[in-house]
Formats: sequence, C-alpha cells, structure tokens
Amino acid sequence: MITGDLKATYAADERVLNNSYKQAFVVAMAALCALMPLIANDYIILVASQMGIMLIAVVGVNVVIGYTGLLSLGHAAFMAIGAYSIPILHRLMDNAGLPDGVMPFIAIPGAIAISAIVGIIVGLPSLRVKGLYLAVATLSANFIIIFLIELEALAPWTGGLVGLNTPDANILGWQLDTQREMFALIAALAFLTILTVQNLFRTRVGRAFIAIRERDYSAEILGISLFRYKLMSFAISAACCGLAGALFAYFYARILPEQFELALSLQLVAALIVGGMGRTMGPVFGVMVIVMVPEVLKFTFGMVAGGAAEVAQLRAPVQEIIFGLLIIFFLMFEPLGINQLVDRGIRALNRWPFARG
Amino acid sequence: MGEFIQFTLNGLMAGTIYALIAVGIVSVFKATKVVNFAHGYIIMFGAYFYFTFSVIVPGAPWAPDWLQSWEPAWMVAMKADLPMFSPMGAVLDWLSNLPRIVLGLAGAVICNALLGLLIERTLMRPLIGQSTFAMIMITVGLISVLSGTKGLIWTADAEFVPHIAPNTPIRLNLFDTPIFLFGADLVNVAVALLLFGAIVAMVRYTKGGVAIRATAEDQSTAYSMGISVPRVFSRAWVLAATTGAIAGAILATRNGVSPSLGLFGFSVLAIVLMGGLDSYVGVFIAALTVGFLEAMAQWQFGGEFAEVVPYVAVLIVILIRPHGLFGQKEVERI
Repeated sequence: MITGDLKATYAADERVLNNSYKQAFVVAMAALCALMPLIANDYIILVASQMGIMLIAVVGVNVVIGYTGLLSLGHAAFMAIGAYSIPILHRLMDNAGLPDGVMPFIAIPGAIAISAIVGIIVGLPSLRVKGLYLAVATLSANFIIIFLIELEALAPWTGGLVGLNTPDANILGWQLDTQREMFALIAALAFLTILTVQNLFRTRVGRAFIAIRERDYSAEILGISLFRYKLMSFAISAACCGLAGALFAYFYARILPEQFELALSLQLVAALIVGGMGRTMGPVFGVMVIVMVPEVLKFTFGMVAGGAAEVAQLRAPVQEIIFGLLIIFFLMFEPLGINQLVDRGIRALNRWPFARG
Repeated sequence: MGEFIQFTLNGLMAGTIYALIAVGIVSVFKATKVVNFAHGYIIMFGAYFYFTFSVIVPGAPWAPDWLQSWEPAWMVAMKADLPMFSPMGAVLDWLSNLPRIVLGLAGAVICNALLGLLIERTLMRPLIGQSTFAMIMITVGLISVLSGTKGLIWTADAEFVPHIAPNTPIRLNLFDTPIFLFGADLVNVAVALLLFGAIVAMVRYTKGGVAIRATAEDQSTAYSMGISVPRVFSRAWVLAATTGAIAGAILATRNGVSPSLGLFGFSVLAIVLMGGLDSYVGVFIAALTVGFLEAMAQWQFGGEFAEVVPYVAVLIVILIRPHGLFGQKEVERI
C-alpha cells in the first residue's frame, strides 16, 4: 500500500498508472527506450536488448509462479520452443513461397502458439500435483525437451547439438538486420507484453489465478475450474516465454540447445524472486539486476585484472555465486523483492518530512 | 539372453548407487520437510573432496611417499613374481593405494559433514517455521552457489581417482555368453546396500531415529516432548552430506570427477519423487527400477536415451500416482 495518495474519483482509482510515481517511471522508461536507438552506443543497445528479451520471459514466469502460485523450474524449455519455431517456420514458409516481408507476422504468432500448446502439455501434471512435485515435473519437462532438440533423429529440423542459424526479421520489406533495429522491436513488444499481462489481472481470469494461488481448494469451492485456469495460466506464461524465445532467435545469429538448459530456468526464477513475485514491476526490477550483474562483473574484472587470463577465468564462477546469493539473500531478508523496497521508499517520500508513524 | 543379463546387472548396480544418493534427499525431507534440490551438488563436493585428499594431497611435495604409493619390500617381491593381469596383482595395486583411499574417504566424509552443518546453520535454521517454498527455493539458489564455488576452488575436469576396492575383472558364463563384472563395482554395491540398510535401521530403531520420525510427524509436538528439533535438523543434514560424500566418491571412481556430477542429483530427485518422498522402501524400489530401465534404454536405443529415462519415468508415475509409488498422501486442511 502506498499512502499519501488520495483518489477523488473512481476513474482515478481505476487507472493503470494510478499514482504519479508510476506515471513518471513509465513515461521516463518509454522516452528512454524511444531515444536509445538514436543516441546509445552498440554495447548499451546489446545490454538493453538482452534485458528486453529476459523481461518478456520473466513476465511470463511471473504469471505462473507469482500470480497462480504454481512452482515451475522449466520455463527455459518454452523459450527454446519459441526460439526453434522461428527458423523452422521460416523454412516451411520459404518452401511455400511466401515473401520475406510477411514472414514475421506468421512466424512470431506461430512461435507463441506452439509454445502455448507445449505449455498446456507441460502444465498437465499441475492438475494432479503441486508445489514441489510440480517443480520436479517441470524440471523433468525441461530436460526432456532439450533432449528432444539435441536428438540425432530430429537434427535435420533442429540442428542437433550444433544449433541452427536463424533468419533476420523482415517486416514488410524493412530488414531488421542490426541490433539497433531489433531493439526497437523488442522494446515495443516488451511494453506490449507488460501491459497485456497487467491488464489480465484486472479481469476475471487474473482474479481466478490469484484465488488459486491463495488456496486452490477454496478457489474450486468458489466455482473456479482448476482444470481450466491452471492450464490457462501455463499457456499464457508459456506464450510469453515463446515470444521471448522468438525474439531471441531473431536477435542472435545462431541458437544452441545449451542456451536453454536449466541454468536459464534458474536465472528466470532468480530474476523473479529478486524483483518481487506477483507484482507487475517485479520482473522489471529483477531483470535489470540479473542482466546487470554479469556486465558489472565484466567491468570490475577488467578494471582489477586488466587482461590477465587467470583472473578472467574466475568470472563465470563468481557470476554463478552472485546469482545464487541474490536468490538466497532476497528469500531470507526481503521475500517480496526489490518491488517492496521501492514501495517502502515511495511511502517514505510521500510522508516526508515526517517519520513513519 | 546373456546380453540382457549383463545390462540388467549393470543397471541394478547403478540403481543401488542411486539409492545411496536418494537416501540423503529422503532423510533431509523426513526430518525437515525440505526437498534438497542441491543434493547433487553436495555429492559433487564429496567427489571433489575425495579427489583432493586421494590425488592432490598425496601428490603434494610435502606429503610422505608412502601416502602416494605404499610399497613395502614384501609387496615388491610379490609383485615381481606375478604374471600380468592376475587378480592378485589388482589386489596388490589396491593395497599400495590403500593409504590414499582411506585418507580420501575420511577427508571427503569429514569435509562434507562440515559443509552440511554449514548449510544447515546458515541457510536452513533461520527459516525454521517459514514457508517450505522459501526453503526449497533457497536450495535452488544453493545450486548456483555450490557450482560456482566449485569453479573457484577446483579447475580439474574429468580427472581419475583411485577405486575404493581392487578392480579385478570377474568373468562368468551364463547361457553360453560371457558376463563381465568388476570387483570394484561389486564392492560399491555392497557399500551402498550396507549404508542404506544401516540408515533405515537407524531411523527405525535408535533413539536419534525415533527423534527424526517424531519431528517428521509434527514439529511442534516433537519440540514440546523434549526433542531438540534444531539438533534433529542438523543431524539429518550431516547424514545426507556424509552419505553424499561416499556416493560422490563412488561416482568419481566410475566416471572421474566432473561438474556434471551435480546434474546427477536431478535424476535422483526424480527417482525420489517416483518412490514417494518419505518412503525408504519405495525409493529403493524406484532406484533399482530406474537403474534397470536406464540400462535397457542404453542397450536398445543408445547412451543418450539413458539420460532422460528418470525424467520420463517420474512424469508417468506422478501422473498416475501423484504421491509416488509408496508415498504417504498429504492431508490438506483448508
């Protein structure tokens, strides 16, 4: 709750950005994203694009873990499905003789749809089991999907262990072949995803998810069909991850199965826990931290060690330790994440100069 | 037929090792209701500790020579007389390795026990009484911490370590096909079975075991009956870490030490859920079944199929029996 924030009309209360801090933050972010392709250097564009892709995926994870309360450790698999759908669909459309300019309009929704269907299949165990059993079931699904991608027999389609080259997106003749142009697409879709998901939780579907999170039996007694809404939650979150995967495929020149292994699933969950589960802005803060950690480390190691190879070797393990410690630290000391810290700061600002009463 | 028996035996032997690893996850769950996702990485630490104390320490310049290779005069004399590849030769090789094997096992068990205590004290104890979600996610965070720490301490990959028993090949003839077994494998199986049996007996019959069961039943009642619940927690973690150390050492002798040992923990987690989280018997049966199925998959389809067998098996079992083969159904109150 943010106090010191008076709403005089219902319309003011129902607005998406219902206080001035939110408005300021969103407007600033939108302006920053709009200006960035014009002024930022390549490195900043790269980092920002990574954030955008991660953000879309974490928003999806938030739907299932944060709002519906189903613990999933396999969301990297949905990103893999989305990413692999792009080159495969492009190849199919090439064979069918479609022009390049319309392909993304079919490939991206196609990738989202395929991911959502896989999400429903992976979500099926959630009807029988929950909590920890579900975590292991989704973890197993992640291993199985990566195994299928790496399988020799499917290698003509998936490229097997060595991965696939991915096409560039071409929107009605506009070839997005630089990272700068891709960033514009990623930023626009990231905004759209957050808005859509935020809107979802103002509808009956979103409220059903939250009821299931609070107590699934009680929700069922209230007339919420667990079967329908649990699977829907999985489908929506897999669709978001599929979109993230599709953008991942367009953004990088090549995709490899090992990029979508358990480590990525853990990173997504880490970003969510650090940012704050079940909150709209949680994924935004979490992704900023999780993507910045490797970059800050790279910078510090570069300053401390210069070019010494032995020291540079230590960077990857240190990064892993920091990810783990971030999860542990936030769970132990601030389970509601950065979002809660920010809320607390805003509350203090509102009351200033008076202390907490 | 002979091939079938060979693969079955291999699978069952792998299954007993799975059971030994699984016992750590089950013990921690029974006492603390926390499922340790990072158990595989604790095993990996056990394997690397074994590697440190049986390869690196004896190889250090300050270590006495007998630690590296113990060769008294009578052994040299005996070795000189033996023909190549004789079973006695393997036993003698093992004897000269014995000091470093013992040091390695002792070091691995002690260091891993300390690691288990450290984890329990710093991460688990502050969260007693909190939601299990937080505790489980902390073990997920622990995965990254342990695997990163390993990368900082040990850079060695795929290094070989001495077998814990003489590795003489044993050849049998069944149905006119030769069957090969290795002495070290048989001893590994025996060690795993003994430890498994000892732990089950301990939980059933000793005072400490009764305390663990009482805590599993109801923490606050156990507390009010005079059982020190925190001590039960740390005992369970030490038990898991030490069995993990021995399992890690055994795994290291089979395939060498490597970071992929950590991934082993996930397939064992799948086995544990398959058997039922709180049932030693169920987990033992599930471990043997998965070992057997893995061997069959390897035989019929090739090695890479064996990796996904536990995951496919657990998905099927969970869908049919959500609480595992022998697990107790949780009663939920609203």
